[in-house]
Amino acid sequence: MSHVLLMTLYAFLVSCFFALLWRRERAAQRRLFIQLFLSMVVGGIVLAWLMYPFPPGPPTPLP
Amino acid sequence: MTSRESTEDERLEWSYEAVVAPLLGWLLPGAGHLYLGRRERAAAFFLIVLAAVVVGTQLDGNLYRIEPNRPLTVLGTFACAGMGLPYVVLRFLLSYSGDIVARGYEYGTAFLLTAGLMNWLLVLDCWDIAIGRKE
Repeated sequence: MSHVLLMTLYAFLVSCFFALLWRRERAAQRRLFIQLFLSMVVGGIVLAWLMYPFPPGPPTPLP
Repeated sequence: MTSRESTEDERLEWSYEAVVAPLLGWLLPGAGHLYLGRRERAAAFFLIVLAAVVVGTQLDGNLYRIEPNRPLTVLGTFACAGMGLPYVVLRFLLSYSGDIVARGYEYGTAFLLTAGLMNWLLVLDCWDIAIGRKE
């Protein structure tokens, strides 16, 4: 299971959804899709990189 | 209320469609848009929401249900129930609930919650289209 692949798939689905929901013209949809997709994927990688020096902490206990 | 708002309210058309489209939209993702004649968008929304549900279940994500003394499960259940028929089928026909020790549990839960929330937005979109507020 690749974490990056799952994050990319999630970003793809959500970006498609909002591009179709919020825009009507094809060009505007494409533009919004690219903006959202790149924001999520690049933002996620940057955030992960910034968090890298911090220790992960103890595992979450099962409820 | 300003005069502009009241004029806008008068323009809103309450109709049979305004009730049926959101209901259909909740029941089956994209069905509300199909009913309103938006075929391409209906197909796309159906595939997107269904893909999120399939990935979420394949990863053994949590399909929330209300649990006593855990108030946040009410919100989770509300979000998941937004996916409509897939929620009913998964929960009541297939008895699906997820597997908390599965490796993809957290990711799967995110996909399932997102599928439900996306469909709630589609329900609102159907409502807006049906009353003439959106194209």
